[in-house]
Amino acid sequence: MKKWLMFALALTISISFVGAAFAIDKGNKRKGKYIYRKVYKACHERGEVDSAKPPINPDAKTQAEWTTVFSGKTFDEFGCADEWSQLSDEDLSNIYAYLHDHAADSPTPLKCK
Amino acid sequence: MKLAKPLACALTIGCLLVLITFTPAVFAAVQDPSASAPGRVMARQATKENQLWITADHTKHEALKKTFTTGAEITKACLSCHSEAKAQFEKTIHWQWMVPGTESDKKIGKAGYSLNNFCISTNKTKDNSCLACHPGWGTATEAINCLVCHGRETINWDEAFEDMQYFMGESDEESREMAADLQSQIQSAVQAVGRPTRKNCGSCHFYGGGGDGVKHGDLDSSLTKPNKDLDVHMGSDGQNFDCVRCHTTQLHNIAGRMYTAPAYTERKSLIEDDLASKITCESCHSATPHEAGHKANDHTDKVACQSCHIPTVARVNPTKMSWDWSEAGRKKDGKPYKTKDEFGKYDYMSIKGQMKWAKNIQPEYFWFNGSIASRTTRDEIDPAGVVAVSQPVGGQSDPQSRIFPFKIHRGVQPYDKVHKTLLAPLLSGDDGYWKTLDWDRALSKGQEALGLPFSGQFDFVETTYVFPLTHMVAPKATVVTCKECHAREDGRLAELAGFYMPGRDQWRFMDAMGWVLVIGSLLGVVLHGLGRVFTNGRKEG
Repeated sequence: MKKWLMFALALTISISFVGAAFAIDKGNKRKGKYIYRKVYKACHERGEVDSAKPPINPDAKTQAEWTTVFSGKTFDEFGCADEWSQLSDEDLSNIYAYLHDHAADSPTPLKCK
Repeated sequence: MKLAKPLACALTIGCLLVLITFTPAVFAAVQDPSASAPGRVMARQATKENQLWITADHTKHEALKKTFTTGAEITKACLSCHSEAKAQFEKTIHWQWMVPGTESDKKIGKAGYSLNNFCISTNKTKDNSCLACHPGWGTATEAINCLVCHGRETINWDEAFEDMQYFMGESDEESREMAADLQSQIQSAVQAVGRPTRKNCGSCHFYGGGGDGVKHGDLDSSLTKPNKDLDVHMGSDGQNFDCVRCHTTQLHNIAGRMYTAPAYTERKSLIEDDLASKITCESCHSATPHEAGHKANDHTDKVACQSCHIPTVARVNPTKMSWDWSEAGRKKDGKPYKTKDEFGKYDYMSIKGQMKWAKNIQPEYFWFNGSIASRTTRDEIDPAGVVAVSQPVGGQSDPQSRIFPFKIHRGVQPYDKVHKTLLAPLLSGDDGYWKTLDWDRALSKGQEALGLPFSGQFDFVETTYVFPLTHMVAPKATVVTCKECHAREDGRLAELAGFYMPGRDQWRFMDAMGWVLVIGSLLGVVLHGLGRVFTNGRKEG
């Protein structure tokens, strides 16, 4: 019995550490909005996209979905790979804060106007 | 030899017939006669020198180089040069949302008692969501936002000011850089001004009623950058007209509104009056626009140009055709929900009800003298039938009326069972239906905002609302053909009663008499010919 308890404890601690390693901090959402828009402004000026407006609105996903996207750093669906690859971890946590706080299931879902 | 003379005559007549039949076709192949039709030539003359120029470079004006922290500061900067613009604009329907020229106690207009059958009412502008299209700064109605109509760059002003002020209050270097960049974007937008473009007008008129293409059918975002197939006048690969090319302006009053009063009262060309208050089809194309002898010229006194030259609308984007508010309020798993149709448009929303979208809409046709009669929230209705919230004014015997195309939006909306009036629910905000899904509360608050009674007893009634169609003029190859109207069954004008139309209408006695004449004439010719042949034969013999 003791053995099992020890195993469960070790497993819980391991999962917590691994989770913490992949977790993403929520930065400054106002800065996040600014940076998110700047990504597409630059991408539009470079000619890759037709519009400077971000293609994915914060309310396009739930908060859990945004957390999955940013934890895994899977930004393929956003396009503009050059601009996204140049963003620092701080920039990403700021964008995450903006998208997460205005997700479809948040108290204030938003579209980019 | 006896038949040589008649045979020669027959051959000669045959040759002449062939020549008469085929000569125009040969010439037509060389030159399209409609290309030199008077209407087209006149229109080309009227528009060929459309090179606009201005005398001011707004990037050089000191008044526009300052730091702006509010919209009102931008208005003040504009008015520092354009000193009379405020006084002019504040008198217009675009600012007041009240119909000019009507008795003041009637209060007809968006900001008054008028209503429709899609988003129903602004509740005398108490419904803030409607103010997104009022040309002020955000939902404020104090200062004019000149850039709604004159700005070339798109910017979310409320957010830009709010974010800039936030970053200005932060001490880190990154925030200061962001504040400076936002101010630079604001200044750039303030300095990028000019005459209104299709995008400026379209920012409201393409999205009226709560979304792209909801209202009109002939006005949606596809007209921001249309091609000639969508609109021969606005097509960027053709004439590339902006809206203000036809919607002429005097003292900030934009011509062309087709409601209580006609959009224009006289049908005249620019040669007669080049400062006409509204440029119409006839202003450039004349009243006999087709080539000489073309039957279509005989139609222009009774059929509006739009009826033939706008065969369908909503040819690129769908438009909303019906809106049933009585279906609103349903929930799934205890929560409001929404569903989409084949166009990707919401066809059901718990907050709005059941809606139907469609593309390539064939218009419905009515006699129309340019005015539309509308009901307000104060007018009594008969809920036993379909209530016309708005309807075209005119008739076949009215010399000012012509057959005109319309989109009809069909609705089901709330009415007061005791007072027999249409009701105006408050939709947005904490008390609005979109938040509460509570009709009693939304109707009470909405009627209270209007200062009108609500008995507390309501039901839903079927309604119609008309939109005259005058945009999305198609190329001539796709215009409505004669047979589409002059058809015995299912013609476009099948519902337009009260007058005789060849091809559509039938008077059996007249038809029988016609056939008697045709057959009688034929018999006469044959008998006469036979008589001549046999008589000649006897003489020769």
